[in-house]
Amino acid sequence: MKSLSLKIIGIVCVLVTLSACTPVKPWERGNLALPQMALETDVHEAALRNHAFHSKEGSNGGYGGGGGGCGCN
Amino acid sequence: MSKTLVNRLSLAALALPGLMQPAQAERSEETYNTGFQYGHYEESGDRMKVDVFELSAAAPIGKAFTASLDLIRDTMSGASPVFNVRDADGQVRQQISGASIVDQRDVVNVGFSYAMESVTLGLTGGVSGENDYLSRYFGTNLSWDLSKSTTLSASASYAFDDVFPVGRTYRKSKFNQQYLLGVTQVIDKNSLLQSNMTFGYNQGFLSDPYKQVFVENAVGSSILDDVRPDKKFQWAWLTRYARHFKDLNRAALHADYRFYVDDWGVVSHMVETSWDQPIADDWQLTPRFRYYTQYEANFYSAIFDGATIGRYHSSDYRLAGFGTLGGGIKLSKNFIMSGLIKDIKLQAAFDYFDRKASYQLGGNDSGGFDDYSFYMVTASVNVKF
Repeated sequence: MKSLSLKIIGIVCVLVTLSACTPVKPWERGNLALPQMALETDVHEAALRNHAFHSKEGSNGGYGGGGGGCGCN
Repeated sequence: MSKTLVNRLSLAALALPGLMQPAQAERSEETYNTGFQYGHYEESGDRMKVDVFELSAAAPIGKAFTASLDLIRDTMSGASPVFNVRDADGQVRQQISGASIVDQRDVVNVGFSYAMESVTLGLTGGVSGENDYLSRYFGTNLSWDLSKSTTLSASASYAFDDVFPVGRTYRKSKFNQQYLLGVTQVIDKNSLLQSNMTFGYNQGFLSDPYKQVFVENAVGSSILDDVRPDKKFQWAWLTRYARHFKDLNRAALHADYRFYVDDWGVVSHMVETSWDQPIADDWQLTPRFRYYTQYEANFYSAIFDGATIGRYHSSDYRLAGFGTLGGGIKLSKNFIMSGLIKDIKLQAAFDYFDRKASYQLGGNDSGGFDDYSFYMVTASVNVKF
């Protein structure tokens, strides 16, 4: 029940956010294309960090698949 | 900005959701990319140390295909907690394995993507091997531009893992699957939002063969192997936000939040922020911060007794309740050229984290017997031809 409520809250949040968007013309998108605006500015460094965190924490996910398990201590 | 950089930013802008025209319907890599990354991870108290060496390459094939290869070698050494005991003063303390762990992990990852007008399809696969662990995995992903401002992402990945612990005669298997559904939205000309949900289902041998539990009984004590359920369902929801600040020398703020819950009882929250600040001459400085907190698994206890020991039991510090607080700084420099080599990027980063029971959201009264800290250093060079 708690999980279902959270999902509903999530969907509502996304819909509210999307409805608040401002149309952006193609020639206005230069700022969004800057390298520092990439959601993952360095995929290899991010993968290394996520692997370290995942090995030492009880949770993972959100970033997508790719990569297998390990016998990490 | 140089003309080359302007040209490159224009091309990058075209790769944003919905910007590709049919006549330019490709989103494959336009350069040959190669990279080397070194990483070092080290825990306090002479525990685990890991060195990471990674070689990567990606190449365009024709107008629409991109192939990539990634080779990683981790060398691990040090000690790790096995179980917890109560000392003569009645305090809980960790029983460490001794500096006996020496292992090497070799990874080969391959990737292949095909870009169409508004859809990009990807296939990935790989093998990761250690002297006591083997993982084989593959996955597929899809990116679909629904409109000029909205991109839908979906992926499925599968891993077939075998564990054959040192000192034991058995070989056990597990199968992990994970599915992702996400949306990336241009909010306005300065901000982006991404929201991903992943669903994971793991089945098979999910216990840790190197962990044990200590059981106190009225007539003495005993040590049992770590035993966990053979199924785990996971749900994670990650939201990422990026905002550009033109007046602050084109700096970018990044903020991520992830909520996680699984049916072992672990619930976690993660917040990560960074400030990507261009300085001058293509130098960039990025301070960053991360906070993680989790609540313990249903079958976790530091020490068990006759009343608390059950069918499933673990004292693994990774299933305990705790928080981790830390951050660091990353420095990078780009050299943009116009010859055979088009771009060289150098990067170095240092991060330090403190993992404490008392950092758990809402507090934790376990006393901090399993607290430790760790740091990570990375350095990399990437070249585009």
